[in-house]
Amino acid sequence: MLRLGIPLLLLAFVVGVSVVSDRPAPRADFVYADATDVATLDVARMSWMQDLRVARLLFEGLLRNDTLGDYSPAPAIAESWDISEDARTYTFHLREGARWSNGDAVTAHDFVFSWRRALLPDTTSDYANFFWLIRGGRAFYDWRTEALAEYARGEARSVEASLALLEETYRVFEETVGVRALDDLTLEVQLEDPVPYFLDLCAFPVLYPVHAETVRSFERPDPATGRIISQRGWTKPERLVCNGAFRLAVWRFKRDMRLAANEHWWNRDSLAIDSIEITSINDANAQVLAFETGVVDWLTGVTPAYRDALLDGKRAFYAEHAEEVTRLQAMGLDRFEVDRRLPSDPRNRVHPIPAFGTYFYNFNCLPYLTDGRPNPFADARVRRAFAMTVDKRMVCEEVVGLGNPVARTLIPPGSVAGYSSPEGLVCVSDARTPGEREELVGRARALMAEAGYSDISTFPTVELLFNKDAGHDLVAQAVARDWERMLGVQVSLQQKELKVFRDDMKNHRFMISRAGWYGDYGDPTTFLDPHRTGDGNNDRGYSSEAYDELLRRASKELDPAARMEILREAERMIVEQDLPLIPIYNYVTLYMFDAKRVSGLNAHPRTIQQLYLIDMLGDGKGRDQPVELGFKGVFP
Amino acid sequence: MSGLIVRRLVQLPLIVLCVYTITLLLAWKIPGNPLENPEGRRPPPEVIEQMQAQYKLDDFWKFYFSYLDNATGVKWVRQTVSGEAARQAEAAKAAGLAVPTRRVFDLGPSLEYRDRRVNEIIGSSLPVSVTLGAAAMLVALVVGVFAGVAGAVKPNSLTDVGTLIVALVGISLPSFVIGTLLLLVFAVWLGWFPAGGWGSLSQLVLPAVTLSLPFAAYIARLTRLGMIEQLSSDYVRTARAKGLSERAVVLRHALKNAFLPVLSYLGPATAGAMTGSFVVEKVFNVPGLGQHFVNAVLNKDLFLIMGVVLVFSTMLILFNLAVDVLYRWVDPRIA
Repeated sequence: MLRLGIPLLLLAFVVGVSVVSDRPAPRADFVYADATDVATLDVARMSWMQDLRVARLLFEGLLRNDTLGDYSPAPAIAESWDISEDARTYTFHLREGARWSNGDAVTAHDFVFSWRRALLPDTTSDYANFFWLIRGGRAFYDWRTEALAEYARGEARSVEASLALLEETYRVFEETVGVRALDDLTLEVQLEDPVPYFLDLCAFPVLYPVHAETVRSFERPDPATGRIISQRGWTKPERLVCNGAFRLAVWRFKRDMRLAANEHWWNRDSLAIDSIEITSINDANAQVLAFETGVVDWLTGVTPAYRDALLDGKRAFYAEHAEEVTRLQAMGLDRFEVDRRLPSDPRNRVHPIPAFGTYFYNFNCLPYLTDGRPNPFADARVRRAFAMTVDKRMVCEEVVGLGNPVARTLIPPGSVAGYSSPEGLVCVSDARTPGEREELVGRARALMAEAGYSDISTFPTVELLFNKDAGHDLVAQAVARDWERMLGVQVSLQQKELKVFRDDMKNHRFMISRAGWYGDYGDPTTFLDPHRTGDGNNDRGYSSEAYDELLRRASKELDPAARMEILREAERMIVEQDLPLIPIYNYVTLYMFDAKRVSGLNAHPRTIQQLYLIDMLGDGKGRDQPVELGFKGVFP
Repeated sequence: MSGLIVRRLVQLPLIVLCVYTITLLLAWKIPGNPLENPEGRRPPPEVIEQMQAQYKLDDFWKFYFSYLDNATGVKWVRQTVSGEAARQAEAAKAAGLAVPTRRVFDLGPSLEYRDRRVNEIIGSSLPVSVTLGAAAMLVALVVGVFAGVAGAVKPNSLTDVGTLIVALVGISLPSFVIGTLLLLVFAVWLGWFPAGGWGSLSQLVLPAVTLSLPFAAYIARLTRLGMIEQLSSDYVRTARAKGLSERAVVLRHALKNAFLPVLSYLGPATAGAMTGSFVVEKVFNVPGLGQHFVNAVLNKDLFLIMGVVLVFSTMLILFNLAVDVLYRWVDPRIA
């Protein structure tokens, strides 16, 4: 009998040891949940939303977006800046008191080091092309790529040879790339062409600095390939040296990340919280449970299947207090302040925020499909006819149900300062009467006839490609039914696994496909560039001389208003005339937080949150007064 | 006995090599590019090219051999013996650069979690899964054996039928249903336990119970069957005839033999429980190894896929070996 107890004892021992050795820490001042863990804290290699969010806490760039105001670039590490008359040279004057978390001064040399590192092909930065805007940046990237290839082919591969190549690389950078530290506190950047949104880019985390000394101590060239190998140790809590409002205290994989106030931050006194915890909760339902049991204060994206019910709850709550809501709105309060002044109600803790992205359908615009058949969608008239006959309102209201605005343009209206969106193509859901709708359908059919399909049965079966998650199937069914009913075409739905779907898109193996795009920076080009001929993200295979020419002209135009006008014309081309895509709706992000407890989040469609602005109301720290938002928000 | 252990240990690398080859072949064929974000923008093609070269993703055989070289420790031994490692460290130190970190079994970098190496990911998630698995097996053993014995002592009684029904439910209900129900009742309504997460004993209870149910049910059935068979055998009749108490008959004599099938089931079951359950980890937000089996494949994170597969297959083989050894020890009839 004793022998039988052995397995039991062993198991109990394992559990006991683990439980005793692993003690949880006390709750942080502010806790938020992300669906997945941060992939990297190396700013140069970031591309995920959750990484960028943490980067804005740990690091500080030359500039920041004034997120509680109008999102314009505001001083951060750079106190002021001058722009030359030809708009190609930027001189940044750095703040004197800026410090790294180990007490070192933040200097212009840090930026030169960090930008050089991000530009090197060895670093494989997803956003390397941002640095190609700098004079000589692209040429330097290509030079280094070629030099590495040559090194790999060559005979003399040794530690010494790889070091010599590295030295030469740094010399070429210094001589040819337009980034220079004039002195410790002055950084000069020369651009290849004027980039009107360059200041906005300087607020983007990929352009933030890293601590040169620390990073360098983890790097060495590989004698076999000549490439710089970066050992991944410097982003660990005990090593990471950062210059932002917080420093990294704990980072346990897929469990939690804990940030503590950085005592060396120049603006330390402005902080109203001393610690932030980021837990990664993958399951959408578990996220909501964690919020409801008080474990987290903010959910960055609420995505369980019942999210429309959550939203209906909020609408019902607003309807019950309609008078009060109207009165508060009339006072010019921002939408979170309105929520604060309404009676407490669990239904009012969900907040739909318009996002900086659009859901759309791609057309394959190439003359032939990959299987060799002629592509009917190479004809812009066919694309227009299909675009006109999508009942977008139905998709938004009946299928998605999150209060997404119907999109007629690619760039969410009102999201970019100084830019006014074109009208966009009229579609059937814009019709006010059944007669108007009939007329629109008639016009679409006439376009098809013009394109040579007066007998619709000669039109090949339309293949509609989408990936199987996130309700794309429901949208596809609704849209397919629209086309079958209004145009009389046959539609075959092709549902694929995400990776296969992405592969098909990239290789143009589709007729029509579901797609989406989020902007990276506050300029129309972040949405318009992917439609340029040959762009790496041009899944549509769309190619228009006139469109490319407009973007080229815009890049040379120095007058901001005139430039926006050109870009507006470019967007008009793709959403009214050529239709390589059908904009369907603008994305909405669902936040969950109690506005009565949390202040400092904003409701702007750019959806950048700088969480060092958070103030937990009533905790006795900070001002404990809600901040007034510059952008009042779109009321749900 | 030592012959068995030696034989199994010699077989281990061969089996693992087969598993490695088959898995890598399959994983390589997964469509898509692991270096791209699944949503939204792609890096410029020039950057993708550089990434592929860096990770040797441009050629199957290059990847196959270099991964094997690193993961099995062959490279480590080679570099140490030839003195190359020392030379490189020397040169790096002389140039004021980072001295290369070396691992004996290097499972490579994760493509998805760019700041982590696979060793680190497994190193942080395997202990979590082992703890959870051990707790679940503990619950399963205690509950399963007691239920099985109770049912077998009085076959077809209310207790027997009751445990049968519970066992049936335990086996049939998927863990995401049980897990969600437990969460709803004990975390949300009653508030006795936290709604997920990891680190304290109270956070261990609900996932361990959820994970244990199918195992407990299986063990209960195995125990009951074995007990009924043993209780009707001759030596039990003899034991009763010589006047032993029922308690001694059941616990000391019958259970010992009835436990053998349970023991042979324990090997693979423990290995399975300890390497994590995707569903339980997802429902209770436990940072264990199970999620990587699924997510790594979805993300085509080749290094991570190969890492978890190698670790899992090695564990499975070792647990089976351990059970075989235990088996012989408990039952001397098997030699």
